Order: sequence, then structure tokens, then C-alpha cells
Amino acid sequence: MTSDMNRRTLLSTAAAVAGTVAMAPLLSACGDGGQSTGGASTKKGLKTALPSFAPNSSLKPDIPSVAGGADIATDPGFLTYPAQQARTVDGVPGKGGSYTAVTPLWGTVPSPSNSFYQAMNKALGVDLKIKPTDGNNYLTIIPTMTSAKKLPDWLQLPAWWNSGFNTGGLAGTQLADLTPYLAGDKIKKYPNLAAIPSGAWQAGSWGNKIYGIPSYSSSCVVAGTTFYRRDILDAKGITADQITSAADLFALGKELTDAKRGVWAFDDVWTYLFPFWGVPNKWKVENGKLINKYETPEFLDALDWHYKLAKSGSMHPDALAGQEASASTRFYSGKVLISGGGTGAWNLTDQQSGSAANKDYRRGAFDVFAADGTSRPSLFLGNSTGVISYLNRGLGKDQIEELLAVADYLAAPYGSAEYTMVNFGVEGVHHTMVKGVPTFTDAGKKYVQPQTYSFLASCPQVVSNPGADQVTRDFTAWQAANVKYLYKPVFWNMNISLPASLATADAAQSVEDTIKDCCHGKQKVSDVQAAIAAWKSSGTRLKNWLTTNVLEKYGTGQ
Amino acid sequence: MTTTMARKTEKNTARKPSQPHVRLHWRIRLRRDKSLVIMTIPAVVLLLVFNYAPLFGLITAFQYYDPLVGVWHSPWAGLEQFTTLVQDSLFWGALKNTLYLSLVQLILFFPIPIALALLLNTVLSERLRNLIQSIVYLPHFFSWVLTITIFQQMLGGAGVLNQFLRQHGAGTWDIMTNSNTFALLVTSQAVWKEAGWGIIVFLAALAAIDTHLYEAAAVDGAGRWRRMWHITLPGMRGVIVLLLVLRLGNALTVGFEQLLLQRVAVGHNAADVLDTFSFYYGIATNNYSYGAAAGLFKSVISLLLIWGANKLAHFFGEDGLYRR
Repeated sequence: MTSDMNRRTLLSTAAAVAGTVAMAPLLSACGDGGQSTGGASTKKGLKTALPSFAPNSSLKPDIPSVAGGADIATDPGFLTYPAQQARTVDGVPGKGGSYTAVTPLWGTVPSPSNSFYQAMNKALGVDLKIKPTDGNNYLTIIPTMTSAKKLPDWLQLPAWWNSGFNTGGLAGTQLADLTPYLAGDKIKKYPNLAAIPSGAWQAGSWGNKIYGIPSYSSSCVVAGTTFYRRDILDAKGITADQITSAADLFALGKELTDAKRGVWAFDDVWTYLFPFWGVPNKWKVENGKLINKYETPEFLDALDWHYKLAKSGSMHPDALAGQEASASTRFYSGKVLISGGGTGAWNLTDQQSGSAANKDYRRGAFDVFAADGTSRPSLFLGNSTGVISYLNRGLGKDQIEELLAVADYLAAPYGSAEYTMVNFGVEGVHHTMVKGVPTFTDAGKKYVQPQTYSFLASCPQVVSNPGADQVTRDFTAWQAANVKYLYKPVFWNMNISLPASLATADAAQSVEDTIKDCCHGKQKVSDVQAAIAAWKSSGTRLKNWLTTNVLEKYGTGQ
Repeated sequence: MTTTMARKTEKNTARKPSQPHVRLHWRIRLRRDKSLVIMTIPAVVLLLVFNYAPLFGLITAFQYYDPLVGVWHSPWAGLEQFTTLVQDSLFWGALKNTLYLSLVQLILFFPIPIALALLLNTVLSERLRNLIQSIVYLPHFFSWVLTITIFQQMLGGAGVLNQFLRQHGAGTWDIMTNSNTFALLVTSQAVWKEAGWGIIVFLAALAAIDTHLYEAAAVDGAGRWRRMWHITLPGMRGVIVLLLVLRLGNALTVGFEQLLLQRVAVGHNAADVLDTFSFYYGIATNNYSYGAAAGLFKSVISLLLIWGANKLAHFFGEDGLYRR
């Protein structure tokens, strides 16, 4: 689906900007070393504040969700667009109020007051003056509003900002507390919002209160995985289930590489492969004590394997030269057969691009395995959302309720009448149904395709690629096969206000740079150990602060 | 124009360094240059708004700057960012790389446009000269991304050269990812891209030299080399010194995009310069204040360098950035 793909493209762009957003707890610097007003939340404290979870059962997916551990479940899959577009909201949600909203947009900003915005205002029953703003410059635009304390009524603040900025400081001072409207069963007034998983609400909470409205939430957020060219490996009689250890993968690399023909087995794989050694995303807790991933022996084992891989001749020279921009071209053209990447890459657009290079193109991903081939495989879960919108604290009770009703409309489930309106506009004007799939008209491409409303609120993620059923089947099958290995990492979905003086220690850029050099064969594992040793004093300060101010006060969030 | 410049060059060459200046009172000069001053006002306003006003942002180097709360409300850090900076071995590594790259570029890059301009000046056919000029100017208009991609496609591990060597059973040649020869690689890329463009100023200086001087020298029996040594090079000296002063002032700016794009290829230890240090350890890790501190340090050193180089130019009797 064009729009769906567009949204994914935007999200993968956003994720690229955010780096490993899904892998990091939602940290926020508060500057002076003390807690800001919007600190972390405790499991117990949040219990009363978190909205009740009531999944929507009005639409039956073709591929149902598969449950993993607590709060973990795969995204449902749809092979076709639902023919019966059920209504989930009675009447018009708004009461005629007038509001302003600002969201990021990675694309051409549509003209204001266009036919789609007008139709949306009519459907929503409000005059919502939405101002999509260039996503690449969003970071420079929002601070001017926050520092002047002149926020719009409704504002999107990406969760990955929390790792560097004092979003928590805005909670309660400039951003409205939504707990009185959404806590517990109160959310049932807004059934579509109630279908958003609890983890996503937790990602928008500060100091045991709910502030954010999540978009694009999922209970199966995996930052990325190790992909392979399934069509090529299948033709060689190699299947993913034959690879059950790091040694198997290394040997496969040797087998697949044919440098004289310009084919190398591997592109960069470190970012999404290191967890297979049992390395935590950042922290783990043992005997009540925090341990950084750099301090684990598994981390050094993972590094050693990657260093050897870089030196083995199985990695493409351009990957070793850091030519990341051309990684997808190498993969599509079959010059590289195994490559790490975000799971957002598994979509219709990817299939179309790959098929253009080779008609048999098929993306596959290795299942999670334990590097030693004997331990139980495990993979940490990412935060449940990276896109969160907030309401202005200056709004009155009626206004907040009106906007929450609007959010409920925007969060209508996939394939519903409201979802179709928000994502495809008016039939006959912005889209037409082609073989049962909403397809944009020229006006739709201009005004609806650059998605804006879904950055204020949207339904939980589904997997849907009409016209490329194999992609939907492959992705959902991979999720289903691996969901049992997913676990919640330490500080999962927690918003932590970190002192700015610890920001450098938290980023550990010098260590991360050396890791990258090591994975490209430029520096040895011992060099990384030296970088870790240099980082250790500031890292210990960070650990002590987190132990005292987060772990002991708020727990692990798992 | 050419005549005026030629006259100016003659005047400059003729002026003795010790000759005293008679400075008119500023009011008289203002009255005399009133129309010129008025014409410069828009440019001055532009400078004030876009170059001087942003200097206020330097205050972030003394804070724990948080963009969401702004400059006024970010907590004060005093000199802590600078204390951390001088204790950071990566910062000193970046400074060392910067100075090394600057020195290599000064030795290997700076003379090339001068030599090219001298060579081009000897080409008599105007059509041929225009053709050569167009060809050597062209790479200047390529972005660094394109330039480095071309180098990677040609000389990279999977590039044309190495693939040819590989297919013929010869060993490959590690050019693009060798940290030991990175300074040479960076300089050769800079020469390929910018040397042609750099000749423009020197060609202008050459055009300003009075052709009668060459004729007179030729009549006196001066050969090609003597004419170059005694007429061409002294005629270009003012411009060469000016550009050298500017280059020294910019010694700590050795390219950002070019190094950013190749940082992973050779490793951060070899590729980090002050600008990339500010980016990676400041902006990229949301530690803006640390990046600002590194930037301020660089600016202060650059200011001292340009001041020193200008003094040196005056000492040798040249104008430098301005006439004393």
C-alpha cells in the first residue's frame, strides 16, 4: 500500500536519524544533576495511571497476532484491505473548537487549507490548523517554541529526543497531564485509544503520569535483524534454519564470497547481530547491580567475531569503507548477500526496488540464534513507540476532552472507515478503490500521502503490503518464529531524566567509534578494551547515578 | 581594470615599507568617503545580523545547553566544558590530525594552483587555454559526496582498479581505507577537486602584470626563467602572501564533509579533526555545549594564527589582510 509504505519510509528515516532509538531507554538530560519535574515512573506508581488495554476486535486480520511474553505480541498481518470499512466512532468527535497542531513531515509540505485538511476538519468536527514542519529541521524549530513557552495546542515530540533533551522538564510545565482523562478505565470513553498497548502509554509517561499520546505503537518492536538474499540462498539450497550459531554464519560467509565475481557475503552486521551473543542493549541487572554491556565477556566475544569477520575477506570492501548509503544497492544487486538492517526495510517498496534489480528478489532474515549454538537465544525488545504527541497545558478540560476524542478518531483501527479517511482521504477525490485497495489520485498524492494526522495519534502497527503478499507472510512468519525469544530490557519504556553532565558518558561516543573501527578491522579488540577503560570512570559515575536515582527508586521497568 | 591593478602593483612594489603614512582626520575621511560608506551599510548590516549576532550563541559553551529550554534557562556550567576538553585525549588527537593535515596540504596543495596558473599563462592559444581552464574548474562544482564516490568507485576495495588487479591474480592495493596514507589521499582529493578553481586568483594577478616589463626584459636578454623569477613571481607575491595569510588563519579548518564521509573508512583516530570532533562529540551526542567549547577553542587559535600571519606579512613589507 503506497501510503503504508510511505509511512514506513518516514519512520525508517526517523529511525535512521534516531539511531538506535528503539534500543535505548528514553533518557532525558535535566541539566543540573537533579531530577526534573518529569522523571521516571515506577511500575507500581504507573499501575493506577496507565490506561486499561482493550484491544479492538472489530476487524479480523488474515494473519493473527502471536503472543510472546507479557506485553509482547507480534503485529497482525493483513493480506487484503478490509472490504467492509467498519465505523468505530459514532458521529463527529469534535464540538467545533479551533486548535493548532505541529507535526514533523519528511516530504513536501502540502498547502494549508487544502481539500484533504478541509475534509478532515469536517469529519473531526473541529478547526484543526495543522502545520506539518520539515522533519529534517524539526529539531531546530521546536526549541524556539518551547523556550518561548509558546507551544501549539497539539505537538509531536519524538521519543528519541528524550535521550538528549529535557522533554521531562516540559511535562507538567508546558505539556498537559492526561492522567485524569485516561487513567484506568477512563480511557474506555475513547475505545480506539484504549486499543493502544500499555507499553506505548508508558513511553509517554513522566513521574507516574500520562502525558503523551502514542502513534505507530507495537508490542513487537525489534530494532533490526540480519537479512539475507533468500532467493539466492534458496537457489544454493541454503535455508535459514541451517544457521544456528555464529560459527555457522562465519562459515556461510566463506562459502558465499566470490570476490573475483565482485560478490561478498557480508555488509555491516554488528548493530543488529551483537545481541545474539547474549549482550544486553545497554544495561543488565545481576544480583541487584547494574552492569553495562561493555563490562560483559559476551560483548568482547561478539566484538572478536566481528573483527575476525572484517579480516576474513567475507565483508564487502565498500562496507568496510563505511559506504552505508550504497548498502541497499549492494544488497539489491546481489553484490552482498547478508546485511544488517531495521525491520522497517521489509516492505512493499523494498520488494519493488529489489525486483527491479532481480525479478526473483526475496528478502529473508535469520532467526534469532545463540552465538554459541547451545544457549537459549534471546533478543531485547525495543521501546513500544518512538512517536508521541502532547497537548498544551494551557488547554481547558473541555478542550482536552475534545482533542482526545479527535485522537480517538485518528487512532481508529486499520481498515476502518475512519482509518481510510485519515490515511487515504475521501473516496473519489483523494483515492479510488483499485482491486480492493485504496489507491491515491493526484490530489491524494499531493495532500494525503505526506502523512500528518497519524503523527498526532494512530492505531497500533499492522503488517500490510497489498500486492506483495509474500512480503507480509515472510515478515509476520519471522515475527511469529522469534517472538518467544524477545525480552524486556532493563529500563524498558522508562523516561529517565539524566543530568547533562552525564550525557557524554551515556553516549560513550569514543567507545562506540572504536567498536565501529574494530568491526571494520581497523582497531583490535584490545583497543576497544582500552577505550572502555578510558570511559570507565565516567561510566561508573553514570552507573552510580542510575543505580541511586533510577534502579533503587523506580526499579528496572521490566 | 587591468591597468588600474597594474598601476597598483607597481605602486605597491615601489612603496618602501618604512615610508610614513599621513592619516587624515576621521571626519575628513568620512566626508570624503561618505558615498562609499553608505554603499557598505547593507553589507555591514548583513555581517552584524548573520555573523556577529550569532556570536551570542558562544554562551552555550559555558552552559549545559538544552535546546528545549533555550539559552536563557539552560544551567550554567562555567568552565567545566573546557576543563573536560583539555583532559580529553580525543580532542588533542583531533588537534594533532588537524595540524598535520593542514601542514601536508600547505606543502602539497598550496603551490599547485600557482604552478598551474604559471603553466596556463604560457599557453598562447586562447581557445586551448579556455578549454583547459573549463576542464580544471569543473571538479570544483562536484559535491564532496560525489568526489569521494568517484574515488571509491575507481580506487576502492571493490573499485575498478582493485577489481582489475583481483581478476588478474595480482594483490589488491588498499588506498581508500589505509589510515597511514590518509593525509595524502585527502590532499590528492583536494587537489583533484579544488586546484583548478584555485588558479583563478593567480591568473588575475598574472593579468595585472604590465606586459611592457616582459618586453623590456626580453630586449635586455632575459630568458624565460629569468622573466618568471624577476617579473612574474614578484608580481604575484602580494596575492600569494595574502592567500598564505588566509590559509594560515584557516589552518584549523581542513575540511568537514570530506573527512566526515571517510571517517569510517580509515577510523576515527586518523580522520577526526577539530570540526568533526565538535560534530561527533558535541552535536551528534546532543552535548551541544561541549561542541561549542571545542569550536570556541578553535576560533581563538585561528584568530591568533591569522593575527600572527598578518604581522609576518607586514614584516616582509606586504599588505597582508589590510594595509598598515
